[in-house]
Amino acid sequence: MSIGRITAAIAILAAVGLGRGVYFHLISEPRHDVLHEPIDSRYAALRALLPPAGEVGYVSDLPVAVRLDQDAGSLGTRLYLHAQYALAPLVLRYDDARAPLVIANLADPGKLPQIARERGLSVVAEAGPGLAVLRPKALR
Amino acid sequence: MSVLLAASAIVLSGAGLVAALAPPSCGGALRVAMAAALGLGTWSATYAAALLLFGPQGLAAKDLLLAIAGAALLIASRRRDVGMPPEADAVPHWLWALLALSCAVATILFVEHTLRFPDGGWDAWMVWNLRARFLARAGAGFRAAFSPDLLYLAHQDYPFLLPGLVAQGFLLRGAEAAWIPVSLAWLYGALAVALLVSSLGWLRGGSWGVLGGLSLAAMPCFPTFASNQQSDVPLAVYLLISMALIAGPRSRPALLLAGFSAGLGMWTKNEGALFAACLAAALAWRDRDLRAVGWFALGALPLATLLVGFKLGVAPPTDLAALSTPQGVLAHALSLRRWAELLLLTLRRIVYFQDFGLWSMAEVLLLLFWVRKQPATVPGTALFLACLAFGPIYVLQPHRLDWIYRTSADRIFIQLWPSAVLATLLHLARATDRARTTART
Repeated sequence: MSIGRITAAIAILAAVGLGRGVYFHLISEPRHDVLHEPIDSRYAALRALLPPAGEVGYVSDLPVAVRLDQDAGSLGTRLYLHAQYALAPLVLRYDDARAPLVIANLADPGKLPQIARERGLSVVAEAGPGLAVLRPKALR
Repeated sequence: MSVLLAASAIVLSGAGLVAALAPPSCGGALRVAMAAALGLGTWSATYAAALLLFGPQGLAAKDLLLAIAGAALLIASRRRDVGMPPEADAVPHWLWALLALSCAVATILFVEHTLRFPDGGWDAWMVWNLRARFLARAGAGFRAAFSPDLLYLAHQDYPFLLPGLVAQGFLLRGAEAAWIPVSLAWLYGALAVALLVSSLGWLRGGSWGVLGGLSLAAMPCFPTFASNQQSDVPLAVYLLISMALIAGPRSRPALLLAGFSAGLGMWTKNEGALFAACLAAALAWRDRDLRAVGWFALGALPLATLLVGFKLGVAPPTDLAALSTPQGVLAHALSLRRWAELLLLTLRRIVYFQDFGLWSMAEVLLLLFWVRKQPATVPGTALFLACLAFGPIYVLQPHRLDWIYRTSADRIFIQLWPSAVLATLLHLARATDRARTTART
């Protein structure tokens, strides 16, 4: 075994690796994936309506993975995690519709009246498609 | 906090640690790279300690104390003899050019991925930058970051070296500038390559260093993981420093520094504790020198204390423990299907060209047919033990095996890859030395 052969082998592996990286990032990915929007842009208006810290309830039209047998990669889980990221240090209590303030984060904005009715909530303000601040009707 | 004071704390603490503890023969580039990584890590770990002990009001004093301590170490070490660096070998220009090209391409790919995913990878916004936002935004209410009311996927129990850096960056800037986590992500990626090049150059000569750098910079998934703003590349950096120091001339200061770096790895990610334990076990097994293990453990002690204090006093239980039951663990341990599934998933991952190109296949072939016949080394043994430990961890954990493997195996790979390159090239360099010596005689 000589350093010349090892150098040649590593140079070949490097060329293949670089080629693969360039193909994926500069050719394949632009064709098949979009440039993603920053997460905060969806939640900026909602954040302005909420207290800066503390806890609020969180409801959605899609389930969030809270147990092992639920899909952690689901859209509902992603919506919750995106909202938590954007609204920190507020703690979002999933499925808690009895908190003094509750946010709705919906994949289908048209379901807001239905969700509010089913959970006994009234809409305080809407903050964009599928986003709203609500409070329990009993607290009005 | 002031930017100048924070910069002084990072630079002086890193430079002080390296001046006091790194082997005198370390070259300048290796010293600078180690000082940068250790300085950043120390700055973040002391931030966490001050925050957990005294709350946000203790943060201004800690930068001043850190800068003074670093300066004191530098002054105390200024008369240390600087040994002769190893004889520099002539590295072919085309090899340097290939490394430079690889680094430039990796940076372009890093930029592309950052533009495509401005908030980083899934774990960046789910765990690491989420934690940084809590810490930077919540002030005295920072403990909300570890609230059990958060979804378990936020992994409130994870240590927070990287979030500590990002949060302090936000506080210094006075705003959550997106370039702060992005710059840190790029810096750790660059440090990983620089440390591999300079540590192999120190241990075996410049050509081996350049070959090591190529093996990392031209790994297809490396720019992606670097740009994901997650803790995997920082953990790889601290493990690599520890491995390089253990592979170098053995001394108490070097072992202390290796332990300290392994400790920073512990404070970066939960896997860091496993890697530190594997390094200690490999030292005990291969060198039969318990005093060396003791110095290594002593170096890791401050960070281990911080980690234990955080885990016992602040963090909720890790989901792997909280969601496990004795019956579930036993059932998983006895499930042949689960072990077979793990084997199959691993075999498929080795030939996963999309992420690893041909590197993982080449490494496995080299390990199977050549490295295993070579004399065992501490870094190689530590890596072997770490890989071995992940077997039962994957099988016994409570989540669906294919899901957790798919979402974690590549990240573990990138944590270990720079150290694996170091350990493998040290073997190859030794073999070529032997071959040259034999040819001469």
